[in-house]
Amino acid sequence: MAAEAGDRLEWFGAGPGSRAVKDGSASEERDDAPLVESAKAGDRGAFGLLYERYARMVHGILVARVPLGDADDLMQDVFVMALRRLSSLRDPARFGGWLAAIARNRARDYHRHSVNAVEWTEELPASEPESGLMSNPTSAGAAGAAATILAAIRSLPDAYKETLILRLVEGMTGPEIAARTGLTPGSVRVNLHRGMQQLRERIGRTPARNEEQQERSSS
Amino acid sequence: MSAGNKAREGGMGNDYLWDGSGEPDPEILRLETLLRKYRHSGGTPKFPVVAQGRRWAFGLRVGWTPRLAAVAAALVVVAAVGVSVRGRRAIPAVLTGWNVTRVAGTPRVGTRAMGPSQESGQLAEGQTLETDEGSQAHLTALETGEIEVDSGTRLRVERTGTDFRRLVLERGTIHAWIWAAPGKFVVDTPSALAVDLGCAYTLHVDDSGAGLLRTSRGWVGFQSNGHESFIPAGAACATRPHIGPGTPYFENAPEALRAALARYDFADSTAEERASDLSIVLAESHKTDALTLWHLLARTDESQRARVFDRLGALVPPPGGVTREGILRLDRGMLERWWNELGFDDIAVWRHWEREWSGK
Repeated sequence: MAAEAGDRLEWFGAGPGSRAVKDGSASEERDDAPLVESAKAGDRGAFGLLYERYARMVHGILVARVPLGDADDLMQDVFVMALRRLSSLRDPARFGGWLAAIARNRARDYHRHSVNAVEWTEELPASEPESGLMSNPTSAGAAGAAATILAAIRSLPDAYKETLILRLVEGMTGPEIAARTGLTPGSVRVNLHRGMQQLRERIGRTPARNEEQQERSSS
Repeated sequence: MSAGNKAREGGMGNDYLWDGSGEPDPEILRLETLLRKYRHSGGTPKFPVVAQGRRWAFGLRVGWTPRLAAVAAALVVVAAVGVSVRGRRAIPAVLTGWNVTRVAGTPRVGTRAMGPSQESGQLAEGQTLETDEGSQAHLTALETGEIEVDSGTRLRVERTGTDFRRLVLERGTIHAWIWAAPGKFVVDTPSALAVDLGCAYTLHVDDSGAGLLRTSRGWVGFQSNGHESFIPAGAACATRPHIGPGTPYFENAPEALRAALARYDFADSTAEERASDLSIVLAESHKTDALTLWHLLARTDESQRARVFDRLGALVPPPGGVTREGILRLDRGMLERWWNELGFDDIAVWRHWEREWSGK
């Protein structure tokens, strides 16, 4: 158990200043099945481990689709729904994809019933791109820059915004995103790169412009 | 071409964007730094606390040894979580609140009505959920459980948190399915306090404040003014204002036994009538009704208690060290040892959690 905890710490070890970690998804993927079986048999400890393992994925999927203030509450719904429906999951190895689908459906359901769209604008005040948004934001402007970038990511197509949020917000690696969500590594890789390209365009910064600005500022 | 240049191209060769390997891309690093504050940071709910050995789905009974082991494990986990939380950060609201969802009609949370445009929300400490005759609602709390709220119910949140939750059922019916640690979830009624000991149950309170608790899985403790009743799966227990919980009984007990028991517990009877009702209970009892007879030991005077002792002893002989004299003087240790012979959960579980919640 200690070794497993250690592995998990490394796996999720993207604390402040840390880098995303290398792929360790295969072994954890294999470990899901016995945990799911134990959870189906009523072992809350096993379900707790699955929660730890998948909390970031569910949170990221929700952050991509609903106001930040509601994402945490909806996480509760998603895991409770999963717990209630666990007996209907036939292939335990597909737990991640199944859980991701529940999270996406819950977000859709949220919008079907939501009558309050104001929070989006309250939460993300900046609508125009800020100059230098992706390069050296001041600490005073960091909060606004973060909100603007998050808004820009959320404006991307579903596949791109979800993958980018899992990578940039939740600190998951591409291989980990693939293992958790059930997407193929190739799809995740494409989503990440195309998503980054579109993100740069949305916030007015292309790689070429980036280099031009760097040159201007250094001259 | 350096890794950094490849990264700025946004091409497929950007290893840092893919898996964090290679030379860090400064642009992506800045994005990570800016966006990190939105990252999930909540603690892990305490699923492990009640997990070990508990078959909640079908209510399989666990023996007392694993039960005590689960209690010990729970203590360790609760302590560890407590230390961890104190040392790090406040517990997010997601782990403390009740999510309320409209099932039918127009339930009300305080003065606000829930309807098709407002299907769900939060039920916070001090708030009251009320369903009229045409409405129903559903409550969930991640680390505690789920509650179906029937029509005609008024339910108040008295206390909420990750370590302890207390609801007040003023009237109506709730169906609770609880996976929190034993003793961490209680429901107050006008006439008794229901303490979850790892179970599923239905609790009903009528307009007079009288209540009925029916356990479908695990067991529940019912307590008021020093009266205690333990209600295992398949059993029920009524309660009355100013009297408290009555004697629990299995719902498949003979009708004559149940009727006599209700009179014995709650009717304004003479001593002779009570003795007569007790005779019916004793005569109609079978081995499974040892639950009822054990509770009656402490609810009879000494002369009647001897009759109960004899009948219970015939159905489930007292274990070694438990004497007639000891039981007649209500020796607590002997009573509890005899309880443990009845085949229900170890009473030490109740005693442990009783100390926990009684101070809250």
